[in-house]
Amino acid sequence: MHRHPHWPIHLALSIICALMLVPFIWVLKTSLTGENIFVYPPSILPENPHMFYYVEVWYSIPFFRYLVNSVIVSTIVVAANVVLNAMAGYALTRDFVGKRTVILLFLSCMMIPFQVTIIPAYLITKELGLLNTHFGMALPLCSTIVCIFVFKASFDAVPKSLVDAARIDGVPDWKIIFRIMVPLSQSAIATNVILAFIWSWNNFLWPLIIIRDQAMQTMPLGLSRFLTVFEDTTGALYAFCVMVLVPGLIIFLLAQKQFIAGLVSGATKG
Amino acid sequence: MKLCDMKWSFFLNRYIVTFGSIAIMAAAWNLYIAFNNDGMVAGRVVGPDNRPVEGATVTLFQKTLYVAEPRGKATTDAKGKFLFTGHESYRLWLEAIKEGLGKSPKEEYRLYFRNQNLTLAEPLRLEVTK
Repeated sequence: MHRHPHWPIHLALSIICALMLVPFIWVLKTSLTGENIFVYPPSILPENPHMFYYVEVWYSIPFFRYLVNSVIVSTIVVAANVVLNAMAGYALTRDFVGKRTVILLFLSCMMIPFQVTIIPAYLITKELGLLNTHFGMALPLCSTIVCIFVFKASFDAVPKSLVDAARIDGVPDWKIIFRIMVPLSQSAIATNVILAFIWSWNNFLWPLIIIRDQAMQTMPLGLSRFLTVFEDTTGALYAFCVMVLVPGLIIFLLAQKQFIAGLVSGATKG
Repeated sequence: MKLCDMKWSFFLNRYIVTFGSIAIMAAAWNLYIAFNNDGMVAGRVVGPDNRPVEGATVTLFQKTLYVAEPRGKATTDAKGKFLFTGHESYRLWLEAIKEGLGKSPKEEYRLYFRNQNLTLAEPLRLEVTK
């Protein structure tokens, strides 16, 4: 059988990858040089790079406060997503009356943008007394439908006999979920962690609506505030962008293998 | 031996290594800051002929939100040396002036942390003003 050489595909993919990296490299380069973004022709490599714009960001705004707020909210969201979505995903693997309707309801809810439900969400959060709190910021992202289906796909791959054996031994459902299903679904957990973290980390609209206190602001709100306070801050602004991006990138790079496995776990089932 | 290996293998996963390395670097950086944050600025002033200038007035400017405000003055000794202590900024400007000799350009110095000790690599050079 004639085999085609791989190098043209690899070359094309490498070029596409390089093109996709250009905006990020540009941001990184500008954060290190402060070079005006309208300079033409733009330099590919940074000239006289330094870290002073990062220092400026650190001291110009309460960066550490924003960082702590973002970490707290993201931690709540990630923990809630793993626990709640695992339970919901497990429920959807069981047979019960109206299961199809529930799945259809979930799928149809995915079509509704968050902006549409933002007023009811605000009112509920207000009634719960969670306005201007970390829990309030985390609440709408505590369970996401996409991640429920990721868990469902992963749990469907676990042999039914294993669950049945546990049931016969009298193991309660919550133990089946957290002692049997979840340990066998590491890729689904990684997917949940990454998606929940990134959504929560980048969330702008919801914190903007429910947060009134500057000390409670998260990184995206801080970025917006930074833009309103300072005018000529090309380098510092880009440095702030990098500082916002880096935690998400680290989490993704650490768990990318499981993340991709989790995303495709339901794709190969018949 | 096996138990020992198992214990270490827990610490060698990429999550622990990554976040542990970040924590160690942050701790080392803070330690470095703790030993170098007296807010000291030391340097020299020389004339157009490169000779030390005695009695030149050096002004230290610190960055505020929008502008650089003067925060202190020092006078150079016989060797042209000056010293400031207790600055509180991460962005400074220095300017030296000596009547009859001229003044130096306002030089900007950016630091890596607040109160960082700074020893000027190059002296402030007075230029004859017309």
